[in-house]
Amino acid sequence: MNNKAKYLILPACVLLLMVLLVTTGAEASEKVVYRLKWLRNVSVVGALYAETHHLFEKAGLDVEVKAGGPERDAIRELELGYADFGEASADQVLRARAKGAPVVVIAQLFQVNPLQWMYRPEELQIGNLADLQGKVIGVTFGGNDETIMNTMLAETGLGSSDVTLFSVRYDYTPFYRRQVQLWPVYRNAQGPLIAAQLDKAGEKTAFFNPAEFGVKFVANCVVTESRTLTEKPELVKRFLAALLAGWQQALDPGNQEEAIKTLQKYDPDTPRPILEEQLKITRELIQPNTSLAIGTIDEKGWEQTERIMRLQKQLSMEIDLKAILKPVGGGAE
Amino acid sequence: MLPRRVFQFFIIYFLFLGGLMALKYSLVLSDYVIPGPAGIFRTLIAEYRQYSLATLNTMSVAVIGQILSVVMALVIGITGRQSTWLGSFIKVAAYNFQAYPIVALAPILFILLGDGFLTRLLIAAMICYFPVLLSVLGIMSKPVDDIEHFYRATGRMRWQLEVKIRTFENLAQLTTVIAGSATLAMAGTIVGEFIAANAGIGYNIRIALYQSDLGKILIALFLIGITIAIYQALLESLGAVIKRAWTGR
Repeated sequence: MNNKAKYLILPACVLLLMVLLVTTGAEASEKVVYRLKWLRNVSVVGALYAETHHLFEKAGLDVEVKAGGPERDAIRELELGYADFGEASADQVLRARAKGAPVVVIAQLFQVNPLQWMYRPEELQIGNLADLQGKVIGVTFGGNDETIMNTMLAETGLGSSDVTLFSVRYDYTPFYRRQVQLWPVYRNAQGPLIAAQLDKAGEKTAFFNPAEFGVKFVANCVVTESRTLTEKPELVKRFLAALLAGWQQALDPGNQEEAIKTLQKYDPDTPRPILEEQLKITRELIQPNTSLAIGTIDEKGWEQTERIMRLQKQLSMEIDLKAILKPVGGGAE
Repeated sequence: MLPRRVFQFFIIYFLFLGGLMALKYSLVLSDYVIPGPAGIFRTLIAEYRQYSLATLNTMSVAVIGQILSVVMALVIGITGRQSTWLGSFIKVAAYNFQAYPIVALAPILFILLGDGFLTRLLIAAMICYFPVLLSVLGIMSKPVDDIEHFYRATGRMRWQLEVKIRTFENLAQLTTVIAGSATLAMAGTIVGEFIAANAGIGYNIRIALYQSDLGKILIALFLIGITIAIYQALLESLGAVIKRAWTGR
């Protein structure tokens, strides 16, 4: 073998080795995009935990977790092929199915809807729904909270003239100024922050949870396209198992330090005591009962959500829930 | 002028809609991602009344905002046309004010002034006044030497006369800028409504977005587009009438 050939063999072998490494690597980790419902905060701590603690990689997946937001819609992204899995609330899923979107629910993250109303207990007592009469209630017109509130008012027999609905945005000033008596917040994310601010001013806060008055409206779920579930059941199983393991570990009190560190990575400005409080409340909303596996789909809750949406004319037809709810084995106990 | 504007708008809108339908049917997308023609028509029937009223509400705010901004731009432009210290100060202040994005200022305005008519009006005026101001400054700072020289030489030049001469000589340009700024006034009002108001078509678009209803958004875009097309045509006609009355041609 002449010198020229020797010089060529070595780079060729290195190149071959690199190609092999890259191709075997690609086979081992399947690329997956997961679109969150909201920004990276405590409401998606399970996904963040699974990402930062390499739980997806251990399941042989290369998952890109993308932040959500008001302008993002995971269901549309699934159909357009921009995402493989996503988070969506039940009302989004039902609206999408009513319009023919091939979306299915593989797990339900929140067992209790975090969307609740904040109020000052010295100002009002809510023993039953009739106590809402005459109150100024904040709602996001067009949002879930409007549908939930209208349902509660309808069930109590209260009409639009019995309460004043106030249009809510991101600015809490009307609540701070006492112009509005009940203000919708995400109990686990915004709740502790606003409560702490009011506490500094010597004001007490309480939360009005519609579920305690029999109104269940299912919140964030894990969704995918029905074709993905049919054609790649193993991928769906592996992804969901890793995601739910992330939730399980993030909410385990023994892992609190790690979960807080994960949250601080994305939310460095929120004080630690608030993060601890947020995590504690999220634990109660995701797994209110330890016998209930994280990710369990609450079929009764879905039935009620569907019924509420039809009554509120958000849906024009009955939706077959069996075609939507496709629990995949992988729930974390 | 009016039928041509409306016809041109129809061409643009239906080309856009055609593009969306091509995308929908070529990619086999559901009505949730892009609604079909029947769905859009049903939404039009269901929402026509409410959305038309909301668009008219927005338009009324935009028209008042535009008038305000044109007056503001004329005052600032006429004062700032001179190369004096005050003139240059006004120009710098006007440019700096424009440098702040409205989306950042809007929430502060809504906190201070509430989410009523006044805030929407102010946002509309703020968004549309700058292009008008630039044109007014450009027109008013440029002497029309052929005509002005006579008055200067005879010592009869006053600032009112100077403004009149420069306006008259650039009337076509001013009319085009003012008609064009109508679009900005409408866009400004919609932005304001989208961020925080309780009325108008921007507010309805926000609700439609919450409900992931693209059909409603397409109807809103149609009504916004046709309203602007009509308003712009009316402004252009008004400009032509003023020019005819002034020049006698």
